[in-house]
Formats: sequence, C-alpha cells, structure tokens
Amino acid sequence: MVYLSTSEEWQHRSALLLQARPTTARITTKYKIPNLDAPKYQKPKKRKRDGEMDDKDAAAPKVPKAWLVLKTYDPESGVVLKFKTDRAADVGRLINGLGRLGRHMAALPVKDEAPLDTITHGDASNDHVTEAAVPVPKESAPAPTDAKPPQAAGGGGAGGKKKKKGKK
Amino acid sequence: MAAHLSSDDFFTRLGSLLEKTQQKGHGAVYLTQKRLTFDNDAASPEMVADDPLWDLHPPNPLPLIMRATDGKSQSRDRTKNTEKIKISTIVQPDDVETFYTRYADVCKAGMQSLKKRDRSKRKKDKKKKAPVAGSSGETKKA
Repeated sequence: MVYLSTSEEWQHRSALLLQARPTTARITTKYKIPNLDAPKYQKPKKRKRDGEMDDKDAAAPKVPKAWLVLKTYDPESGVVLKFKTDRAADVGRLINGLGRLGRHMAALPVKDEAPLDTITHGDASNDHVTEAAVPVPKESAPAPTDAKPPQAAGGGGAGGKKKKKGKK
Repeated sequence: MAAHLSSDDFFTRLGSLLEKTQQKGHGAVYLTQKRLTFDNDAASPEMVADDPLWDLHPPNPLPLIMRATDGKSQSRDRTKNTEKIKISTIVQPDDVETFYTRYADVCKAGMQSLKKRDRSKRKKDKKKKAPVAGSSGETKKA
C-alpha cells in the first residue's frame, strides 16, 4: 500500500473514511525500531574496498532509527490509508489527530476549534488561487525550494502554510 | 484474552511496553483504536434497525476500544508465544479528551528512537537566509 505524503492528507482522508464507515474502520499506529542484527539489514551495500568500509562500520556502531506508521483500515471496503514518519516532533501532533478521529469513531460531534475538513479544503483552494492568479516568475522559483529544508526541520504541519505565505 | 484494563493501568503497561522495546533496541509496538461495538448492551438494539446505515447516526456516542500489543504472536520457529503482550482498555465518550492528552504524553515519552529535531541545522539555514534577504533589498534600491 502506498503511503500518503503528508499527515494532513492522511488525517483528512481518514476522517472521511471514518465518517463513511465509523463501525468497521480502525486505526493502527505502529512504532517500530528495526533490529539491525536481522538478516534484512545485513545485506552489504558496498561493493568496493570492503576492508575499509568494515573498519568504519566497527568504529561507528549503527543506532537503529525508529519510525511510526499510521494506518487506517476498513475491512469492509478494503480501504487502507497509511502515513509514515520518523520524526519525534510529529508524535504529539499525530496523536492529537488520532484524538480527533477518535471523536468520529465515538460519534461525538466534531470540535469547533478543530474544523479539520474546512482547514484542508481552504488550504487546497488557496493554493490553487495563488498559483493561478500569481504566476511565479522563474527567478524567484529557487527561493521557496531553498527555504524548504529549515521548514522541514522545524516540523511537518507548519511547513506547507509558511511556504504559501511566502508566495503571497 | 485478559479483561480490559482501566486507563491508568493501560498507560502504565503501555509505558513499560514502550520502554522495554526501547531498551531491547529493536521491536515494534502496535496501537489500535476503533469503535467498540462488541459486547455492548447499549449498541445492540440499535443494530436491529432495518436501516443498513444505522451506524452513521447512532443516537448516543459510543465508547472506543484501544489496544496495544508487541505483535509477537509467534516466535521464530512458529510456535505460539505465551509471553505476548496484549492489553486493551475502553474509553468512554466522555473521557476521550483526557485519554488522548495522556496518550500523547505516554507516546512522546516512550518513542525515543524517532529522529530528534535537529536544531544545529536550523541555525545554519537561518544564517544563510539573512544575507540573501539583505542582497535582495539592495537590488531593489538600485
């Protein structure tokens, strides 16, 4: 199954799925720390200068990097929505999102302060409007791409919004 | 399967499960949430209704069931693992808010192997940004 690229999209689609199938859909969060001793991770990637590389590996023991996969699955329709992250900064936000989806499951009214659907819709339409109305000159195009890395480091959700502000 | 735990017990056990995985250096923790429809006296009469979409508009909010497991049903030689950790708790609709607040805390504390925020990189980028902004201002003046 393909992973969705942003947590917002996962959140939005999961909300829609839960609205359609509140009884059968379930959300599984998998927190995985890989076992680097397992054969899967023992495949040698290097081809040349084996000896040298081995020395380096021994000098710096690998630290397993964990990841988190959120998966919404509805067995009745067979829909699977997945999102994967490896950033600790995402955890709080994602669990907050799980709480919001949990309200759908519990058939509780959606909280006013978190109108998820309108937010995602609004963002999407804004995006289109700005792109259509303001044809970005080619010279300025590299600027947003340069700005990407710090935003990514700063933590997922805010990244997209900041970028849009910059365009305006 | 053991009976459902109270949310306090659930969080304690979940915390120790995450910590155990962390100390072991590898492994997985599976957390599942879904609407509780089984073994629920309040929900059963609603299901009888002829409406096939009965579950879209239940008259009362339904509880959630939260499960956590280490996913180890079998050992490597395909025998049943009696040591499997599998816990669950029921969250009543009124408690959803408080439950998720604590849930987030436990997960944030337990999931320590995820990538930490890299602050050094961020500072570098800010430094890079500053001169760029200055130069663009100069060009405008010219």
